[in-house]
Amino acid sequence: MLVAGVDLGSATGKAVVMKNNRIVSAAVMPATTHPEKTARAVLKTALEKAGIELAEEVKYVVGTGYGRYNVSFVNENISEITCHAKGASWMHPGARTIVDVGGQDCKVISLDEGGRVVEFTMNDKCAAGTGKFFEAMARTLHCSLEEFSELSLKSTAPANITKQCSVFAESEVVTLINSGAEAADIAAGLTDSIARRLQAYVYKVGLLEDVVLTGGCAKNEGLVKALESKLNIKIARLPHSPQLCGALGAALFAEEHFLKNVFA
Amino acid sequence: MSESKSEALREFVEAAKTLVNPALSDYKKKGGKVIGMMYHFIPEEIVTAAGMMPYRMRATGSEGTELSEGYFTQVNCSLVRHFFDSGMRGRLSFLDGVVSVNNCDHIRRLYDNWQWKVKTPYMHFMVFPKKTGKEQVEAYREQLEGFRSSLEKSFGVKITEEKLREAIRLHNETRRLQRELYELRKADAPPLTGTQTLAALVAGTCIPRDRYNALLKQLLQDCRAEKGGNGWKARIVVMGGEIDEPKFVEIIENQGGLVVGDALGYGSRAIVNDVDETGDPLAALARYQLVDRPADPRIFGTTFDRNDYVVQQVRDYKADGVVSVRLIACDLYGFEQVNLSKHLKKNGIPHLGLEIEYVIDAVGQMKTRVQAFLESIAEAKHDNRN
Repeated sequence: MLVAGVDLGSATGKAVVMKNNRIVSAAVMPATTHPEKTARAVLKTALEKAGIELAEEVKYVVGTGYGRYNVSFVNENISEITCHAKGASWMHPGARTIVDVGGQDCKVISLDEGGRVVEFTMNDKCAAGTGKFFEAMARTLHCSLEEFSELSLKSTAPANITKQCSVFAESEVVTLINSGAEAADIAAGLTDSIARRLQAYVYKVGLLEDVVLTGGCAKNEGLVKALESKLNIKIARLPHSPQLCGALGAALFAEEHFLKNVFA
Repeated sequence: MSESKSEALREFVEAAKTLVNPALSDYKKKGGKVIGMMYHFIPEEIVTAAGMMPYRMRATGSEGTELSEGYFTQVNCSLVRHFFDSGMRGRLSFLDGVVSVNNCDHIRRLYDNWQWKVKTPYMHFMVFPKKTGKEQVEAYREQLEGFRSSLEKSFGVKITEEKLREAIRLHNETRRLQRELYELRKADAPPLTGTQTLAALVAGTCIPRDRYNALLKQLLQDCRAEKGGNGWKARIVVMGGEIDEPKFVEIIENQGGLVVGDALGYGSRAIVNDVDETGDPLAALARYQLVDRPADPRIFGTTFDRNDYVVQQVRDYKADGVVSVRLIACDLYGFEQVNLSKHLKKNGIPHLGLEIEYVIDAVGQMKTRVQAFLESIAEAKHDNRN
């Protein structure tokens, strides 16, 4: 029996297809202007990858992420906080703190031993400390997000960047560029400023190990390392792409809730 | 209960959505005078006794704060900005007077700017002693005496002891009816949602009192035959200041959390106690604001009572969790949220703290927070059952 989780984030759409508690296939694509369109396309891609032709074979779909309210074919929607908790605990059962850095927000979720959400905190309207910030900064440094991450790891003397606001940090970066600073040091400085912000959120809910990083920005190894050094701990690496964590959690709920309905 | 089933409920919901409702327009057309209560702690009964209508000032429907920016600092809250902007645009020009007290620095500045720029014909300011005690009651009584003579002089009316007593009885009657409405919320499937209840209470501050009391009786009647819906994820108590926007409650309810109780300025805190109907009426009114009614964080030395009050609401209304709310830039409620969150943790009550602006927008992240909070409560309930 196939089920799926679809995570409609601000920057990307993610789908995970599961069967008997195992991942069959997954896909990621840039978000379109309509959550419905993104959801259909990303799920179709995931199914095609697995060689599944009929969408009807998927018996239950759970939606999560910002677009979750506006998708016609999902059976239910669950908040991304609950889904990330579910997905992270499945990938790494000892996880007690999840740092999720997505396209337009970052969250820190505290879990109990059973993987249940105890507390969470989240940024407000501002995009500081999110994927949008990294996108804007990579643009200013004329590089891709992958290059940005690699650059930051090369730095030996990170620039001191105090601003976490996407708009003001950009002008700080322009000043640094014009004063002859190395791109690697600027990238490392920016990453460090975001790690500081995340550190504050982690301290707000309380640091409990194991800590995992999820969301698209978790692919940025420079950020993972910077946060490790701020928190003075080792961040547990996940066996699957951290970007899929929300969709994975949604798929796990899809399986649970489908079975509950069948045997109810 | 669907609004189509109760005329009274519909009138309340509509009144809470606008500044001027039809009943208020009628009252004005017939020559009635309206006095604006600029925020909290002002005994409306004195205005009623003067034969005028007390109106709790709001800025519902405000679309911006452009006209305020030149008059407030960047650390002033959005409430005073929207109030002042509405004042400048003449949205509150139906007011014949404004009365205020030193609620906080934000409201204080609002009053000054209002006097300077909006210039409502009658304006009066009282000093509110922000501490609960005998001396403070006496001091505030003196201020109320001053307000009484000022109204008498400015509007050519006589506010007798008998009229004050009569007004107190009338306002107590409102509070008694509102408490009946709150009693209904203790049921497993209450006839009214929290959004509708808050609208009904906000309506009480802008519809002429005789009509309002009659409508409330009608609403209670309509509720008797009704049963509310099931299928809520959790029962919630809301804690906050002078929240006058039912939409805030609606966001929680749209995510599946039924708001059954509250510790809000427009809500239970305004109705749980009556004003003493015996003895000196002005002393009774002063005592009511300073001592008798549940305190607001503006009154010094009441932290423990306020924390206990919220827990009591959770018990009385069989709630599963608390959502607290604070306007950005409000220090009082910022501290209150910290106090409360510790107290609730000690008592094993789930809590979610939210920050809002006076005009509620950008609800996406708020919805996510509320949904995740309700999901964690539902999950815990499910685990406890198994």
